[in-house]
Amino acid sequence: MDPFAVIGAPRRFDLDLSALEKTHRELARALHPDKFAHASTSERRIALEKAATVNEAWRIVRDPIRRAEALFGIGGIAVGHTREPQASSAFLMDVLEQREALAQARKDRDMVKVRALGEHFEARAKAAEEKLTQGFALAFAGRESAPDRGALETVLPVLGELRFYRRFIDEVSAIIEEEEVS
Amino acid sequence: MTGLLEIFDPKAPPRAIGIDLGTTNSLVAYVKNERPTAVLDCNGHALLPSVVHYGDRGEVVVGENAALRAAESPRETIVSVKRFMGRGADDPETERLGPYAFAKPSSSEPNVVRFLVRDRAITPVEVSAEILRTLKHLAEDELRSVGGAVITVPAYFDDAQRQATKDAGRLAGLEVLRLLNEPTAAALAYGLDKKQNGKFAVYDLGGGTFDITILVLDNGVFQVCSTGGDSALGGDDMDRAIAHELFELSGRNWKVASPRDVRIALDLARAVKHGLTSGDEVEVENPFSTEPKSLVITRARFDALIEPLLARTGAACRRALKDAGLKATELDGVILVGGATRVLAVRAYVAKLFGKEPLADIDPDEVVALGAAVQADLLAGEGTANDVLLLDVIPLSLGIEVGCGLVDRILPRNTTTPAVARATYTTQQDNQTGFEIHVVQGERELAADCRSLAHFTLRGIPPMPAGMARLEVTFRVDADGLLSVHAHEQTTGHEQSVSVKPSYGLDDDTIEQMLLDAIDHGEEDIMARRLAEARTLAQRIIGSTKKSLEVDSDLLEPGEKERILTALSALEKITSEAKGDDARRVQLHIEDLDAATKDFAGRRMNRAIARAIAGQKLEAVEHTVEHAKGLEAAHAPRRST
Repeated sequence: MDPFAVIGAPRRFDLDLSALEKTHRELARALHPDKFAHASTSERRIALEKAATVNEAWRIVRDPIRRAEALFGIGGIAVGHTREPQASSAFLMDVLEQREALAQARKDRDMVKVRALGEHFEARAKAAEEKLTQGFALAFAGRESAPDRGALETVLPVLGELRFYRRFIDEVSAIIEEEEVS
Repeated sequence: MTGLLEIFDPKAPPRAIGIDLGTTNSLVAYVKNERPTAVLDCNGHALLPSVVHYGDRGEVVVGENAALRAAESPRETIVSVKRFMGRGADDPETERLGPYAFAKPSSSEPNVVRFLVRDRAITPVEVSAEILRTLKHLAEDELRSVGGAVITVPAYFDDAQRQATKDAGRLAGLEVLRLLNEPTAAALAYGLDKKQNGKFAVYDLGGGTFDITILVLDNGVFQVCSTGGDSALGGDDMDRAIAHELFELSGRNWKVASPRDVRIALDLARAVKHGLTSGDEVEVENPFSTEPKSLVITRARFDALIEPLLARTGAACRRALKDAGLKATELDGVILVGGATRVLAVRAYVAKLFGKEPLADIDPDEVVALGAAVQADLLAGEGTANDVLLLDVIPLSLGIEVGCGLVDRILPRNTTTPAVARATYTTQQDNQTGFEIHVVQGERELAADCRSLAHFTLRGIPPMPAGMARLEVTFRVDADGLLSVHAHEQTTGHEQSVSVKPSYGLDDDTIEQMLLDAIDHGEEDIMARRLAEARTLAQRIIGSTKKSLEVDSDLLEPGEKERILTALSALEKITSEAKGDDARRVQLHIEDLDAATKDFAGRRMNRAIARAIAGQKLEAVEHTVEHAKGLEAAHAPRRST
């Protein structure tokens, strides 16, 4: 399944998500099983399958990481932890240090520090997304169905970085949540 | 309610009903003159206590009269059965304060809770079916003929609990059109009433379950953004907390109390709770001894007792907000649902948590059933508001156990339904011919900490070296929130449509046997019922086929219309002539018509998709015709492999 085609979106990383959200809602409205409560079995089955596919496509397209994975997939580049190049040791060292800083801040219940770390990584995630936007634009320019493999491979490590950032940000919000509850 | 005179008027058109099958109370509603209305019993009450009493002469009593017997025969009177729906025989719920005895399951029986009542083992599904049957009769008294039913479930119900509810509906002789999440039902009741747009939270604290749902109302589309809660937290826990306090105050140990004393304490506790919604303290006579003569519970003490329960709801609310990507201040309103939201401390807590006064203008006990009636009406095609649509989500992540007992999440929580997702696995050993799949539901990383839904084994994989096989597992969740799993081996195409054996459910054979047993008791004639069901289905399909032939006649290919019309008139003929045990024949003709319309249906669906996107295209100019072409390809009917 090509999620971009299903949801009627162009093959690019920076998308107008609010417009696509409307498209998704209209598709969901047209295909929802409730609209086929009286229909024949096969019509109901087709509608159910398509409605689920539309929801799946929207789930992929709206999420930056899944969206990037799908774009790499279109270009024939396999993604996933084991298939992507290893991050540089400088990057890993840096992430490790920041992670220790977060653990320390959590231990000290220093929420100012925790939030600051969260904001720092939000900014880095944003920069990574910017890089992906440019990389994909370059790769897909004028060749939507067969993107440039070299351009894609150049930008591939950014996906791994973005995964690190997202996980870090998730941890930050888990710590904030934990603090609010106690 | 056996022995009730069955009035059957074949001319009265069947009406769709909405049922709130609650922990404490249940009720049925339908749309009357475009307004959802609760059905009242002969005493003018809408609420039927969800209590079932099994008498010593085999009689079954439901509702108020059953509740009256709870203190005298606590073991034979099942209260709050909803808490036991979809649970295993060894579930911790069976260990909590309660007067029941449970049957030990034999190894050959499905692993479900069974109440031991007068030497009979009764499942929660059967108990719930008694309640549903009573509601059905109540509705029939008013409507003459009941069509399909929408039954509500807590949004937080997992797959086993949903399946159990649907089974209960089936056992009660209802055609279950849809399982609807309670908070969504409440929003539907409010949304249609007030024609509101905006972001809302539904805080639903019922007798036994707590749900929080964040949803967006946008021109008739009710999109659930996130949902959370606790399927074992509710007003009952408040009663229990007070009951513990009552035992304490009278110097007794609840652990060694008799079932009768436990029942008395719980009933007294409920009265205390109700009393505290208006007074500052409630004094009750000590039911256990003369010293002390009376027991006093103040509101301050009650508030302190339930504080931990409220804190648990708060944590769930914060998580739901976070999942929806919203702050409390961004909400346009908070809707209160469930009898337990009458408790003053609950209202104060909600107001503080969300920073605004909650809405409670529709009776919180009735709002869910009213919303279910609206949905039933829409599904039955009787409503006018056809642009109304509910987009619900999966409440708890669904996944598969992989190596080291870890969970691989396949459908994360809050995924919009209907949903489909696939994951690919491989074999660990050379020449491995079987692959065991353990389906779990929950948010924890270890499978052992999640709810086990099903185990099955994909067999007959051709021998090949480890890591070569590619096993694709597909999860599908339908609009009821029910899961089905399908597995196939990709390199050889070896396929297995898996019948998932629920870990905590009843299999089809057991349900069928229960249905037969019910009929042995002289309830209904199964042949007549099957035929009536087949006939209803046939008429529905005849109607929709005629309509689609009219609307999309330009999509028909040469000769196709004739083929469809032939199958159609054959079905019409058998439907009008069918009698006795002809249900199967009607069914076969339905299948014939289905086969004749299959390709046409596919084309109609593609047109619906193209239109939905085209409508948006006018707004988003950047999308070109290219994508519509890509879409055609993406939506073209795929050949099965």
